[in-house]
Parts: sequence; C-alpha cells; structure tokens
Amino acid sequence: MRTKLIGLLTLYLGVSVLLTGCWNSRELNDLAIVSGIGMDKLDDEDGYRVTFQIINPTSSAPSTGASSSQPPVMVISSTDRTIFGALRKASRRMTRQLFFAHTQLMIVGEPLARSGINNLFDIFERSHELRLNTTVLIAKNSDAASVLKLLTALETQPSTGLVKKTQNTSRVWGENRRIGVFEVINGITGEGDFTINGIQIIGSAEEGKKKSSLEQTEAPAGSIMSGLGVFKNGKLISWLNGPESRGTQWLLDKLEETSVNIDSLDRNKDISVNVFYSKTSVKVDLQEGKPVFHIHIREEGSINEAGSFVDLSKEEELEKLKKELAEQTASEVKMALKAAQEKRSDIFNFGNELKRTHPELWKTVKKDWNSVFAEGELDLQVDAYIRGTGMRLKPYFPVEKRE
Amino acid sequence: MPKQTKESKTAEMASDKEQSPPILENLEENLKQIQSKLGNSPDLIIRNYESLDHVNHAAAVYINGLIDMERVEDYITHALSLDSLQEKAESVATVLERFSFAKGKALSIGKEKIVEDQNSLLEGLLSGDTMILFQGLTKAISVSTSGGEGRAVTEATTQVNIRGPKDSFTESLGTNLSLVRKRIKNPNLWIETLTIGAVTKTDVSIVHIHGLANEAMLQEFRKKLSEIHVDSILESGYIEQLIEENKYSPFPTIFNTERPDSVAGNLLEGRIALFVDGTPFVLIAPATFFMFFHTVEDYYQRYDVSSLIRILRFMCLLISLFGPAIFVAALNFHQEMIPTPLLINLASQREGVPFPVVIEVLLLEVTFEIIREAGIRMPSPIGQTVSIIGGLVLGQAAVQAGIVSPAMVIVVSLTGISSFATPAFNMALSVRLLRFVITFVSAYMGLYGIAITGLILIAHLCSLRSLGVPYMSPVAPFAAGDQKDIFLRTPLHFMKIRRRLVNLKSSVPGTSAQLRKDNPHEN
Repeated sequence: MRTKLIGLLTLYLGVSVLLTGCWNSRELNDLAIVSGIGMDKLDDEDGYRVTFQIINPTSSAPSTGASSSQPPVMVISSTDRTIFGALRKASRRMTRQLFFAHTQLMIVGEPLARSGINNLFDIFERSHELRLNTTVLIAKNSDAASVLKLLTALETQPSTGLVKKTQNTSRVWGENRRIGVFEVINGITGEGDFTINGIQIIGSAEEGKKKSSLEQTEAPAGSIMSGLGVFKNGKLISWLNGPESRGTQWLLDKLEETSVNIDSLDRNKDISVNVFYSKTSVKVDLQEGKPVFHIHIREEGSINEAGSFVDLSKEEELEKLKKELAEQTASEVKMALKAAQEKRSDIFNFGNELKRTHPELWKTVKKDWNSVFAEGELDLQVDAYIRGTGMRLKPYFPVEKRE
Repeated sequence: MPKQTKESKTAEMASDKEQSPPILENLEENLKQIQSKLGNSPDLIIRNYESLDHVNHAAAVYINGLIDMERVEDYITHALSLDSLQEKAESVATVLERFSFAKGKALSIGKEKIVEDQNSLLEGLLSGDTMILFQGLTKAISVSTSGGEGRAVTEATTQVNIRGPKDSFTESLGTNLSLVRKRIKNPNLWIETLTIGAVTKTDVSIVHIHGLANEAMLQEFRKKLSEIHVDSILESGYIEQLIEENKYSPFPTIFNTERPDSVAGNLLEGRIALFVDGTPFVLIAPATFFMFFHTVEDYYQRYDVSSLIRILRFMCLLISLFGPAIFVAALNFHQEMIPTPLLINLASQREGVPFPVVIEVLLLEVTFEIIREAGIRMPSPIGQTVSIIGGLVLGQAAVQAGIVSPAMVIVVSLTGISSFATPAFNMALSVRLLRFVITFVSAYMGLYGIAITGLILIAHLCSLRSLGVPYMSPVAPFAAGDQKDIFLRTPLHFMKIRRRLVNLKSSVPGTSAQLRKDNPHEN
C-alpha cells in the first residue's frame, strides 16, 4: 500500500517536471508591464517603429508604496522589420523584460494605416501573452507614438483611459464602438471592408507628455475619439464622422444608447431623445443583379429635454415626435450608406450577410462586389417608439410664450 | 460511578495475580511490607485501631490525596473505632465477627470487596481504595473511597460554543462517563473498562451504544487497544497515535473532543468513544474527514445559518490550504490572470521589496507561526503582549520598512485567520503543515504544482480509513443519502436515516436499538 503510494507520488512528480507548460517563474519586479503598443511607419525604409507604453508601478498606484514624481508610464520605441523583433530589440533600452499579457491598447499611426495594416496582427494570434481583445485605434492625423505619450487626467494609466474612453462613448453616444484585434482580423479575413475607431490629439502633443500638463484644470493636450476610419483592402481610405459614423453603428446593430435631437414645432433640433434600445435586422438579396438592403430598425427612446413647448400628454404630439425620430434615424443611416457607397467600400457586413444567406447568389457578384455594393438600394424601415417623457409631461414654459 | 461498568481485566494483569504473595496473618508484618513496597512514601497513611481485648488489632490503610477524606472518616468511625465497637461489645468479640461487622458497615459507603493478595491490595490502594487489615486474617476489606482533589466540571476551553451545553469533561474518568450517561438515559449505553500502560495502569473506557455501534468495528477497536504495550498513557493522544491505521498520514483519523454533547451525538451515530482517565479529551472513532469541520452547534442553530457557516468553514479550509500558494503562483507564473488594475497595484507594492515572493511568504508565515506558538505557551496576560508585538510591530514595521508588501500581510493574515475557522484543532494543525508544502510546490511549478499537489492530497485522503470506514465518506465513496449532513446541514426532519457507512445496523432513528438486538445479523 505504502510502496504503491510512494511509487505513484514519484510518478506524479516525475511527470509533473516533464509536462510543465508555461512555468517560468518571473518576479513582478522583473517585468515591464506594457499597457499599450503603437505601430508607426518608418519614413525611408521598410519595417515599423514600435512604441511601447510601459507602466511605471512606483507612480501608478495610489497605495502607500514609495511615491515618486515620475510619470505613471514611460514610452520607448524601437524599430525592426517585425513587431517581435522590435520588442526584443527594446531590451537594449529596458531594465526589465517586456510583458504583454496586460496590453489593452494598440494604436496604429495614420500613415501606416494608409499604407496597409493587413499583416500587423499575426503576433496577436500567435503569442500567448498578447490578447485578442486588445482595443485597436487609429491615430488620426498623427503617429501612434504621440498618442501613447499623452498623459490623461482622471485615469492614471493613459491606455486604460483611452480604452475607457472608447467604451464610454460607445455606450452613451454611439458614434464609435469597441473594436478589438479579433474584430479587425475578422474584418480583414471576411468579405467586404471594415472600420476602426479614430483617435485624435487635441492641443499640443508636446505639452501633453509632461506631467505638469495635468496640474491644470484645462489640460493643454488631450485626445478625442473622432469618427471611424474606413479600411478598404486593409488600407485606410477615408474617415466617417458624426452622423455618418453613428449611422454605421446603426447599420451594424452595434448602437447601445445615444441621444438624438429632433425638431419641435417651431424650432429645429431642440428636443432631445435618449435612444436606449435599438435593434437592427439586415437582409440582403439581389434583384436583377442589384443588391437590395432590407434594413429594419426598431428603436425606443425617452424624451429627456424639450427646448420649447410641446404637450407631451397628448398622443398626437408624441406620434409626431416618433415620426421625427424615425426620420432623423433614417437620414443618418442613409448618410452612412451613401458615404460608404461613394467609396465603394462595404463596411456594413452586407457582403458577409449575402454570402451567408444566399451563397449561390453571392458567387455571381463575388468578384466585383465593391462596385455592385455601390449600386445597392436601401429598403429602410424605422420603427421608433417613445417610451417616456422623464419626470414631467408639459414643459414649465407656458404655451402663450411660444410667440 | 455508573453501575454498569464491566470489569474486564487484561490478561497481563491476571498473570500478575498468580505470582502475587498472599496477605500475611501478622498485621504488623503486613503493614511493614506495604510500606516498603511503596518506598516508605509519606502519603501512605496507616491508622491503627485497638480492639477491646487489646489483641485483635485492625488497621486502615489509604493513600492521602487519592481518597475522599470525609467518607473514610465516616466509615472508620463506624466500623472500627472503639466507641462504635463498645456499643456492640458482645457481637464483635472475635476477629472474624469484627471482620464481617466492618464489611457490613462498608455497605453504607458503596463498593467494597475482599482482597487476598498483596498485589491487588496495592493496586486498590493506588486507585484510591481504603484497605482494612486485621490481625490474624489473610484477607483485607477494600472499600472504594476514591475521591480527592479534582477539577470541577467547567466550561469547555478548546471547543467553545455560543449555544449549547457549557459543561466539559474533566480529568476524572468517572465524572466524564457520568456526563455522557446523563445525556443518554438508555440501558444500551455500554461501558467497558480496561487498563493500559504497564507502569501508569491508566483506566480507559470504551463506550458505545449497543445495537447502534457496529459489532465488528467494536471488535477491531478492542483488538487494537489490547495490542498496545507501552509503559505510560498520560493522555488520549498516546492511544490515538498508537491505534491509528495510517500512522504517517498528516491527517488525524481519530476525532477528539472535550464536549460531552459531542460525544453523545457521535455515540448516537453509532461511533465508539474512548475515555481515558486523566484527560478531558475523549477519542471518537471511526472519524471521517468532514467530521472535523462540523461542530455540535451546527445542530443547535437553525439549519440555514448552520449550512452557511459550514460552507464558510470549507471555504476557510481552502484558503488556509491554498491561499499563499495561489498568491505566489499568480504573482510569479500567471500574471496575466490578475486584472490589470490589481496587477499594477500589486506591482507597485512590490517595488523595492528585496525578496522574491516566495521568500516573502515564508518570512511572514514563519513569523506568524512563531507568534502563534509563543502566544499559546505564554501565560495569558503575556500572550496578549506577544500578539500585539507580533501584529503591530512586526506587521506594520515590516511593511513600512519595505521588507514585505502590504498585500502579502493581508494574504498571510487571512490565511492565519482562516486556519482558526476549522473547529478541530488537530485538523487545523495538519492543514498548517501542508500549507507550507503546497506553497513550496507552487513557488516551483505555479498553479500546475498546486493542481498536482491537490490531486495527490485528494488521492491520499481517499486512501485513508478509520476503523475500516473510508475517510472521505460519504463523498468518496459517494452515498447520496448521506449528503444531507456534510457540506450543508439540512433541517433535522430531513435526516430520517442514519449514516450508512458508520452504522450498518439500525438505520432508522426512533426504532429502538433493543429491537434490533434480537437479530444482530440483520444487514
């Protein structure tokens, strides 16, 4: 009995030593936690300039640890033909080994995005450290490195800050959605094209690097989520902004919540509707060689602000507002589709949809889908509902004052 | 003393009796021999009584401190003193008459017997009997007058509860047995007494409920006890270690308690209890792993609360076993597992800490063990000082000095506190021991090592047996019906069937054990 146990024990221990997977022990103090990666194009040669934003633990946590005057992150760059090569090369400048399991953000500079990003993401799928849900952003009008160098107020970690910014605006404003590496890879491999969120530096990028920039109520530099970059064949071709951008989210059924201003009787866009539910269903088919996009949007919202008198206790008034809301939505959707059709770039997954539902029809248009898509027609139906008017019905200003 | 005590002396003792010299006729010679056999110890008291005719002397012999002085005085005055003899002068003229008079008087005291050889005389003396010897007679009256100073029944100190009886066992075997008998007023509560220990001759009592306890188990238990050959039994721990089936296992396979209600409850589940004279800790066998995480109070409080507390205890077991190990593994091997903000926080705490995580853990764990060990042995006022020094000075100062990180202090203290949540102290000790092993393995192999060690532990636990009952029962082997009282404590009215593995005989509570006695081979 006992010899058997000892035998088993030896076997287990022996096997355990042989079978170990990723077991190399690394102390936290020996790791440089990379929070963000920036990819930029080199001006005169092939290869990339890879920028790493590295968390500086000493000044990142609010705890009792030794606080220092260093900024919460440090940024280093290195150049190589491959990302992996660049990160290994970076060791020449780093005291610690770069550690990528907590990389939340990947920023691609606009010049690189314009020259193509199709082959950037292999390492994300291959490496066991990098994660596929890393958020991807395109640095609009700048290189990725300058975005990574910006410090953010409120959030100690700039990368966390940018990721949160993406999430926050996706949730309440709806012009952007969270796009991760996985979705980008799907976009690259799928039919049609894809979009990636843009981030733009506002103010002085040079000032934004300094810790002192955070010691003001109005930071001299910051970043703003700005539109969607349209990628065709893996290359950035244009930007969608404002209503086009929101229309895109509507068409992709990625809209979570947004605020739409609609017209009242006497003034333009002075009633604010909070759309808190939206569901889009898409059907694509071919009619006489032309695609028809059957889009049905069902949205629900509540009146959150009325800038002029509207008697919300009356059914007919609400009906009018519903119609207004549906029209407003439809116009944004149409703008988005028009913008995409102009660029002959199917960023709405319509190609994938057609391929999925009518594979035999898809084969006939597969070759020149881009031009076929550009001729496609929209069959849009928007059902808008207003579910609430907030905590009161009529606004406080009386009817007489309308004149 | 309960009257049902069965006197069954071991074979060893019977052989002593054969060689034992008889009691001599000469009283003085007898007394001298007793004195010399006890090494002229001053606590041996001999009181001589003269008879009316100044010839038939008698003597009362006892050992001071072992006897109940009041009873001895009372008895001697009545049976031997001149005054009482003078009243009945005519009837106690001869020594034989006097002997039977004294023997008759002993009835008022309680147990009495006649001894005829010196060994049993000495044995009686040493267990607190008073011996009456007469000039010219080769026998002596042994009157049971045992008593003397003992601790009163007090509140349990090691197994404290909020609700439930407050009494606990003492060092006296008789008192302890009576505490249990008071709780189970049933003639089927059977007690057997043996003597173990060649030198100490310690009385031990096997207690079981006839008809509930498994007869084969009882036989096995008796056999194991009879195989013990040691000089001394000073505490039930001696016996526990000597009869355990897996002597090299870190886990205790015999339960111990100082609570009479716990013993009663276990007896009613068909287990066997072993009382040892001189200690308040009573052994209970067979024991299963889960017993060590149950308390009697679970049954006194409402079922929902008890169930929740039981789950909490098992959680605490996992924390105290794996807590530091998982922390080490996560920090050294699986940094990707930790949420980013927490990782940054931990990383910032570790900045400037000069040791690897595992050394840090060991440093704090060892400190904690030192404080705990020192605190236990210290007299209670100093014990508090130790914990203040340990907790405040060491913990706080170590963090401020940057020797350890604050998170580590949290992990180690949580682990320490969790280990106190195990009701059975001996199980907590085992877990404490294994914690170090697992921490070491995890420092070497990460979560993988924890998994491997966990597997080995589970395999080992499943291989253990206590009096033939699988240690992990009723989880492994699985008995669906017994799950009601393992991780949860279901309402009492759900528990209509007795535990299967411990008790093979009468499975339905409420049916009298006596009924089943007629057909012991049932099942």
